[in-house]
Amino acid sequence: MSGSDTIDNPERRNFLGKITTVAGVTGAAAACWPFVNSMNPSSDVLAKATTEVDLSNIPPGGEHSVAWQGKPVFVVHRTPEQIKNAESSNGSIDPEADSKRVLKPEWLVVVGICTHLGCVPNRDPEGGWLCPCHGSMYDASGRVIRGPAPKNLEVPTYSFVSDNKILIGKA
Amino acid sequence: MFNRMISWIDQRFPLTSFVKHDLTGYPTPRNLSYWWNFGFLAGFVLVLQLATGIFLAMHYKADSGMAFDSIQHIMRDVNYGWLLRYLHATGASAFFVVVYVHMARTLYYGSYRKPRELLWWTGQGLLLLLMAISFMGYLLPWGQMSYWGAAVITNLFRATPFIGDQVVIWLRGDYGVGDATLTRFFALHYLFPFIIVGGVVIHLIALHTVKSSNPSGINLADKDNIPFHPYFTIKDMFGLGVYLLVFFVFVFFFPNAFIEAANNIPANPMQTPPHIVPEWYFLPFYAILRSVPDLIGGVVAMGLSVMIFAAMPYMDRSRIPGGAHYRPLYRLQFYIFIIAIFVLGYVGSQPVTDNIVLLGRGATLVYFACFLFLPIISKVEERMLLKRGLPPAVRAMVEGEKA
Amino acid sequence: MINHRSSKRFCLVLLLGLLPLFANASEEKLDESPIPTDRASIQRGAEEVVTTCGGCHGLKYVKYSDLLTLGFAKDKVDGWRGPLPLDAALKPQMSADDATASFGVAPPDLSLMAAAREGGGHYLYSYLTGYHINDKGELTNSVFPVTRMPDVLGLSGITDPKQRAEMEEKAKDVSAFLIWAADPHAQERKHLGYYVLAYVFVMTILLFLWKKQIWHDIDRQPKIE
Repeated sequence: MSGSDTIDNPERRNFLGKITTVAGVTGAAAACWPFVNSMNPSSDVLAKATTEVDLSNIPPGGEHSVAWQGKPVFVVHRTPEQIKNAESSNGSIDPEADSKRVLKPEWLVVVGICTHLGCVPNRDPEGGWLCPCHGSMYDASGRVIRGPAPKNLEVPTYSFVSDNKILIGKA
Repeated sequence: MFNRMISWIDQRFPLTSFVKHDLTGYPTPRNLSYWWNFGFLAGFVLVLQLATGIFLAMHYKADSGMAFDSIQHIMRDVNYGWLLRYLHATGASAFFVVVYVHMARTLYYGSYRKPRELLWWTGQGLLLLLMAISFMGYLLPWGQMSYWGAAVITNLFRATPFIGDQVVIWLRGDYGVGDATLTRFFALHYLFPFIIVGGVVIHLIALHTVKSSNPSGINLADKDNIPFHPYFTIKDMFGLGVYLLVFFVFVFFFPNAFIEAANNIPANPMQTPPHIVPEWYFLPFYAILRSVPDLIGGVVAMGLSVMIFAAMPYMDRSRIPGGAHYRPLYRLQFYIFIIAIFVLGYVGSQPVTDNIVLLGRGATLVYFACFLFLPIISKVEERMLLKRGLPPAVRAMVEGEKA
Repeated sequence: MINHRSSKRFCLVLLLGLLPLFANASEEKLDESPIPTDRASIQRGAEEVVTTCGGCHGLKYVKYSDLLTLGFAKDKVDGWRGPLPLDAALKPQMSADDATASFGVAPPDLSLMAAAREGGGHYLYSYLTGYHINDKGELTNSVFPVTRMPDVLGLSGITDPKQRAEMEEKAKDVSAFLIWAADPHAQERKHLGYYVLAYVFVMTILLFLWKKQIWHDIDRQPKIE
């Protein structure tokens, strides 16, 4: 058992030992990164971070549902009447101007997930939505007009790539 | 603060006494050479295989229609997926390198001898588990080699008396290797490593009961034992550094050295690749299988070639203490055995021709002769050495041990 | 002393035993001339594969977006993909059924071709340039005689050495791209490998020195035979 006393002596834990320990711990920590990062979305999932939508096939008054990052997004071609209705009020529960919710008045793009508990609302004939789960109602701008939902339907980041093509997920 | 925390734990869990018994106070022979690093390395490889395997399983799909694609998904899309997979695939080969060296060291230095029989047998059990795990893991990429390797090996169970055909179908869950086979291999490939972890704990408990052997093969006097920590922790860490240098050269620069080209072709039950070979670590045993011109005989010979190691403590009849370098005949026999293994490995990698078969049969005979003649050889050697007088080094140690 | 000598001998035996592993050469004689690895060659090869080979062969693990990361302009890739989304795999223009009707076999997917053949890129290059007219006056291929693929580069009919060299360059570019396609992270892997090895190397030296220091007293004790 010779030698154990010299090792327990703290003076022996010298510079060399410290630097090796620090370097070793740093390396081991860095080696964890590939493992952690492998759990992040893979490149094919990231490729779905944006969704391109061709608007030319959506007639006025029509609605198109597309999947964006696994969620439904409603793309609505609003009629002049619906635009007028939407612009005439700011909504009641979560007031917001219609102009803040669209890039072009004739196109409304909202995430189709009820802000209450996450169900997908159904389109109603007047141009708004009705949630089948707890009866929340949304107007033609996707603003909540009847509870229990607390907030308006979310407007995703999107941009017009051309006159009749939008890219959801990228400004 | 720290001391209070430790004493809080010690009242509830034997932490300090564990550290003292198994690390800072665990007596280890000071003359252990670097051949004694390989047990620790095997433990390290096991942990790395577990870690990479668990993260790979998060992306792998054990379905015959999706398995091959999911591997490519891992290789191309998953962040660092290629690194995880190459670490895991190279790690499998590394595991066998390390374990085989560990075993060769045990044989050379006579570490299997009394009182370390149980240590040796638990090791033998771990080897069998490792072989099963690697075999099942090899099916998972669902390439041509995976498929046909699994088809051939499961077919070996046809040698089971009376119910051979049923056993094969039961193992596969299908008439051929199919989706059911893949899914169960995946389930077991995930389970068995944890059984290995348990086996390693038993292996270590046995080791810490009988303590490490050492190159002299004789129990050293107390003054020649030093505590495991820090002496062997630092020595093992240095060995780990050297090991990783070699390992990473393969992982980063030759990752396909251990992946057969044919395994990059999806499994096709309608077509066998022109030249199918098992993974290199099975080649010697595969060669023994092929050397016997009979299905049942071949399977028995192959099984025996793995299991016969367990008999070593009783085959070796010599009472001369010490490892092979004090025992000229045993040493010669050890080298002949190692050469026979490499010849068998070469034979296993070659397509069957008359010469190869002949070479394989010769090497198989030598392989088994090394075991079967060991009782006689060790006795003859003992008599010879006693007549000639023990080498002074051994005598000094034997006397030192008595005193 | 004995200990040292026998250890060395043991190492030697182990190393000798590894030799057959590396001596496992493939049976066909492949043209081993080097395949380029530079980005420009890979790009030229990609264009050739997409425009020519893409008539019959797909690359189901390579996406159009991967071509962007290879450095192609968006317009060019948009032209190749047509109405397909950017993350679609490279699809053959001809359906597998039509191709089977014309050639007798479905043209194989090329994504992993460089990894799936013994010899990798050398195999592909030797195959592409291996077309010739044999003694009986039939078109054949020296590495894959029963191939159903026509002599796309037309090497069997070219006699002008300059034109031949040009086609051989093309075959090299195609091989270079297919090597990339089979293992797109190879460059990143090697790059990371240098850093990892450098780190482990320094670490090993530090550990060696620390080991020497800790063992200092023990190493001065007389050796145990």
